[in-house]
Amino acid sequence: MSINKYQKFKTRDRITQGFIWLFLLIALFIFSLPFLIMIASSFEEFSYVLPYPPKIFPTSLDFSAYQYIITQHNFLTALKNSVINTSITVVIAVFISSLSAYGFSRIEFPGREALFAVYLFTLMMPGFLNIIPQFIVLKNITFIPGLPNGLIGSRFGLILIYVATSICGNTFFLRGFFKTVPKALSESVVVDGGGHFSIFFRIILPLSTPAIGTMGIFALQGFWEEYFTAKVLVGANENMITLPLLLQRLNGEHATRWEWVFAASILALIPVIILFIISQKKLVIGGLTQGAVKE
Amino acid sequence: MNSMSLRKKRFHKGLRGWLSALPFILPGLILVTVFIIYPMLFTIRISLSDYRIVTGDITYIGLTNFKNVLFETKEFWYAYRNNFLYAIVTVPLIIFGGLLFSYLVNNLKHGQSIFKVGFYLPVITSWVIVSLVFKYMFGNSNTGMLNYLLVDVFHILDDYVPWLYREWTGNGAIWVMGIWKNMGWAMLIFLAALQSIPKDLYESASIDGAGIWAKFRYITISAVKPTIYFVMVNMIIGSFNVFIQVMLLTSGNPNGTTSVLQYLLYNRAFSKFEFGEASAIGLISAVTIILLTVLLNKIFLLDEKESGV
Repeated sequence: MSINKYQKFKTRDRITQGFIWLFLLIALFIFSLPFLIMIASSFEEFSYVLPYPPKIFPTSLDFSAYQYIITQHNFLTALKNSVINTSITVVIAVFISSLSAYGFSRIEFPGREALFAVYLFTLMMPGFLNIIPQFIVLKNITFIPGLPNGLIGSRFGLILIYVATSICGNTFFLRGFFKTVPKALSESVVVDGGGHFSIFFRIILPLSTPAIGTMGIFALQGFWEEYFTAKVLVGANENMITLPLLLQRLNGEHATRWEWVFAASILALIPVIILFIISQKKLVIGGLTQGAVKE
Repeated sequence: MNSMSLRKKRFHKGLRGWLSALPFILPGLILVTVFIIYPMLFTIRISLSDYRIVTGDITYIGLTNFKNVLFETKEFWYAYRNNFLYAIVTVPLIIFGGLLFSYLVNNLKHGQSIFKVGFYLPVITSWVIVSLVFKYMFGNSNTGMLNYLLVDVFHILDDYVPWLYREWTGNGAIWVMGIWKNMGWAMLIFLAALQSIPKDLYESASIDGAGIWAKFRYITISAVKPTIYFVMVNMIIGSFNVFIQVMLLTSGNPNGTTSVLQYLLYNRAFSKFEFGEASAIGLISAVTIILLTVLLNKIFLLDEKESGV
């Protein structure tokens, strides 16, 4: 290629880049409108009249809605519950799913494929088909002292259901990754006299941290925003309320106080956004589809 | 070796397999059995019964619940129709938008992560929050953003529209929200697929004078075909899990014409305490999803054979 031709090629490339940027910026602006409206409105004073015209950009930085929300007793309760529920659930769910995925990918036992097919089958069922019997099962677990309603309205019950409903999907996801770890690597452990647990902890887990991390982050976000199960299982217990329940309730009780609803929404959203921005470069998205397509 | 000892050997090998697998699969298996598989079977039983949750009485009544759901009111058919409409309207647009944006973002030399995070933001925002924002935007007076723009700024309409109180504008709002919320997810998945395409394929194509559209058509689309299928199946199944947006935006109004199966199930179970009918609705949606998945798999496998992949 002559220098002249190369220059031309470069200019054309610059112009194309410029157009892509412009197009994406406009698209992103339109995409962000709901967020801009939410942010702008959280700085408004709604009281009984809605501000007219509606705002896209904030006209003032009035943090009183945030102040109001933070000083509300039940916001702190909801925040505490959401943090505790989400973190405990993710840790337990990730651990149990990793164990299961190891069993289904590395150990031969009769009926393995059939059992795994049952796991896959449950994934096709609509999420809350099971909520009524789950409620009944939890209600009937009454052997723990001090809980007359069984596990209804208790943190333990909610976490149990969260962990249980996430196992099949996570096992499927992780099994795909564990299968890609070369068998030869585990042989060195076997030579040293180690069993399955040594292979699991010393080879599989360390090599799969990107996959496990990705799964953990998606699980974290999912449990953080979970609404329906929480509403059915702990919605009646004031002390167990979670952030999504609180948001919906704020909207129901103060129909016109949108600044409170939006301030609380933004507060609930900030941790998730920070988490995603930090982790986005390390997420292994490709693997999400791999298991499904190759199977 | 005779068959007796062979069978014995196989049995021992199987037993050994189970014994070494159990520590790994048992915790998950117990939870799945107690909280997923048993409830599923129990749902079938409830759907065939008159079930009183307070007393725990459960009486077998055959297919009465299914009959009531299917033929007593039109509510079920509206909801069923709306799930399909949601899939038909939103899935193609989500895939198209996701492909377009991922392709453009992938071609950027700088600032990819701004757009990646920006378009993904709706995905990580909870359904409750986005539903509340959309409820505010589609408000029925001049304070709703849409009414304000259409009536007061651009004078396209003479009067404010009660968007969320009418059948088709209500459904429209639910669709718009679904597209907006899920497009970033499709984009991220497609972006991962695009990044696995070798770069020199594009480079040699541009030197040959291929434009952005030709490259998109002949290199990109054929490489991401399996991913398109993955996104499509996920989104179609997801279309049968629509719930929170309906509950918060329209509550199925007017007269259940904007309802969906999951909302109908929720309403029957937890407002009317008709657990039998609710379970029947759940089972009908489950069967629908299974049939759809099987059907989509058939179509896709056929496609794969034809193209010789």
